[in-house]
Amino acid sequence: MMITLRRISQLLFLSLFVLLFFQARFPYEAWLPADLFLRASPLVALTVMIASRAFIASTILALIVLALTIPLGRFFCGWVCPLGTIIDGSDHLIRRKRRPARQRDPLTWRSWKFFLLAALLVAALFSTQFIWFFDPIALLTRTFTTVLHPAFSFLLGGLFNAAFGLHLFEDQVYSLYDAAQAGGLMPVQQPRLYENMAIALIFAAILGLGMVSRRFWCRNLCPLGALLGIFSKYRLTRRHVSAACTKCSICQRECKMNAIEDDYSINNTVECIECAECVSVCKPRAVSYTIGRSRGENRIDLSRRRLLQASAAGAAGLMLFKTAAAGRIRKGQALRPPGALTEPQFLDRCIRCQECVKICATTGACLQPALTEAGIEGLWSPVSVPREGYCEYSCNLCGQVCPTGAIQPLTLAQKQKSRMGTAYFDKTRCIPWYRQEDCLVCEEHCPLPDKAIKFDIREARGPDGSMRTVKFPYVVEDLCIGCGICENKCPVVGAPGIFLTAAREIRLAEPGKSGLKGT
Amino acid sequence: MADFTRRDFIRIGAALAALPMLPEGLLAVPNPDLAVARNGAPGLLVRKAVEAIGGMGRFVKKGQTVLLKPNMGWDRLPEQAANTNPEAVAEVVRMCLEAGASRVRVLDRTCNEPRRCYMRSGIEKAAKAAGAEVRHIVDSRFQDLAISGGELLTSWPVYRDALESDVIINMPIAKHHNISGVTLSFKNLMGLLGGDRGALHNHFMTKIVDINMAIRPSLTIIDAWRIMLRNGPTGGSLADVAEKQLFIASADRVAADAWAMGLFNIDPNTVEYLRIAAKRGLGQLDLKRVKIQEINLGV
Repeated sequence: MMITLRRISQLLFLSLFVLLFFQARFPYEAWLPADLFLRASPLVALTVMIASRAFIASTILALIVLALTIPLGRFFCGWVCPLGTIIDGSDHLIRRKRRPARQRDPLTWRSWKFFLLAALLVAALFSTQFIWFFDPIALLTRTFTTVLHPAFSFLLGGLFNAAFGLHLFEDQVYSLYDAAQAGGLMPVQQPRLYENMAIALIFAAILGLGMVSRRFWCRNLCPLGALLGIFSKYRLTRRHVSAACTKCSICQRECKMNAIEDDYSINNTVECIECAECVSVCKPRAVSYTIGRSRGENRIDLSRRRLLQASAAGAAGLMLFKTAAAGRIRKGQALRPPGALTEPQFLDRCIRCQECVKICATTGACLQPALTEAGIEGLWSPVSVPREGYCEYSCNLCGQVCPTGAIQPLTLAQKQKSRMGTAYFDKTRCIPWYRQEDCLVCEEHCPLPDKAIKFDIREARGPDGSMRTVKFPYVVEDLCIGCGICENKCPVVGAPGIFLTAAREIRLAEPGKSGLKGT
Repeated sequence: MADFTRRDFIRIGAALAALPMLPEGLLAVPNPDLAVARNGAPGLLVRKAVEAIGGMGRFVKKGQTVLLKPNMGWDRLPEQAANTNPEAVAEVVRMCLEAGASRVRVLDRTCNEPRRCYMRSGIEKAAKAAGAEVRHIVDSRFQDLAISGGELLTSWPVYRDALESDVIINMPIAKHHNISGVTLSFKNLMGLLGGDRGALHNHFMTKIVDINMAIRPSLTIIDAWRIMLRNGPTGGSLADVAEKQLFIASADRVAADAWAMGLFNIDPNTVEYLRIAAKRGLGQLDLKRVKIQEINLGV
């Protein structure tokens, strides 16, 4: 009974997660915020608020989850977490017929997640936020955006192409195609995102660890699980084992979290995720959940020595990040989305969930997860890559789906003045400049009412020696907002004749305050 | 009624039966080559302009399929005059259906993100409500079309609907454009092209005529209800938009573009692509030799 309820809850929350994921699209007509799950992660809320030293109101839901964990235990892990549900599903596929009597990962491995949590919190204290790598919700949203959704869209596109190729029921096929695009299942442009390989490998590894033990990630690695575990120490439900217990050990073997101790009546409430598996597998029905303080073992597997080690590791890590080379060329070309906070504040907050990248893929498709474009500290943070896509002049959606305010929501009027960078001509590649022939594709597409690209008309000698009048384009710096459509549409093959740098970019100095400030 | 004899009946009946056998020109006043309708709502003006050159029935026969190509290439609102007027597009859809078209398709290969353009131009909603099939571009539907008589282009990928439809109606909006001075019907056909269209921008004047050799609309309607005077073809500022309340309809696209050039104070004889097109026999550039009917619905 409990177990059926739990499975229904898991499936509902996973479906909601997927639904909200697809909701992040143009037109953004959200009945619930697309970033709801990200806002609900207490780990994100806590770490980002520590790192940025700011209260982030949009994460209020996370505080509720944390508060509920005190009486309810790690219900989030067992009943809600979409990554947990996917791991359960994958474990189910991996599972062997007979499980070994002892679970194969040593109990001591459980301490890793506490170690990780401590190290990440220490780093956050010194304003290096690295939680983005480990938070399960951010990790899953990132995997959905860069790996699963592009693959799904590719598959769907292939199916439609095959169906169109048959020339049968064309109108019906088109209706489906149109609905798939309108519903956000398949953006008009197939998403092709940087870093999809690395992100896919990490996800595959997390699922693959199920071969060692079930919920390996949740047991040993997930720092959100660790955080919730600490709070669930004081939970108000308790696992009761009656005298009917025959000591058959099936509950211990079936426990996904390896939380049941050797005499079967005691479970570790820090590790237990309330999945009720033990209730349902017990043949004599000896196990039940009742209200009351647990008499279970509440051990948090982190000794003082380990805590010190973790702090040292966190500090060492942040030193590495903080003293990485400045990379002036790379960083000077990394364009942040409009509404992004100043770089240090941006990195304090950005959890690399790729929600902005996802919604951007349905409009101008300029945002990509960076490798080293924004420095080593900016790994997987969103940068605009104008050669791949451009910032759509009348779109301000990225700031609306950012769960932590790293990209602030802007009105359209604010956004259209929010300069991301500046365009420059490369006169060795621009067609009128090197070949003395008209082109003006960049000028044509420049979306500013007073175009930032203007031109001089002059006589010039062409490559064939003839004189002709040519329109020579140039950028008016004060008008350019760095949207990058010029670089995107430039017909020159390979490196473009006009390109963007982050020069003169506008970053928001402090969240919550109106008015734009240049850096 | 008493005076109406059997003999009369036969006589009148025979006369009526003979009517279709008379040469067209004897009965009806010949259609003007080009009509301009001014001062009124967009839907009404476009209807009057088309009626003046013979009505939609002259171009669309019962059961034919129609491809209507407005400009909806930009993520802009109707009042910004970057895209064809949605009310006028809807009215043309209705006229085609009234003439018996079996299907009217509306599409454009856009410059900005297609779904934004279709939606924010207002055309998708208006044309659908009028009964059109508003279609998004499906990449696999482009196919190479040989261009006979092209000077620089010998072939280019063209959208299949342009090849398969019985009738193409080209419906641009009149806008400033720094490549061709003004963008009108000739350039609007670029929305039916696949491939890398940026590559058409050098030697544009010749290439755009080459394209127009291959795709031949039977009716051109120029939307000059609002025109964009500066910073085209994207615009954005209402200060660059002038409300002219005017539609041009013609089967002769050179004449239509030539007439519209006047709205921008440009002498059409100085426009290179029109000179090339006239030389290749695509239409009449000399407006003195074009029979023009002007209709003013204003007071």
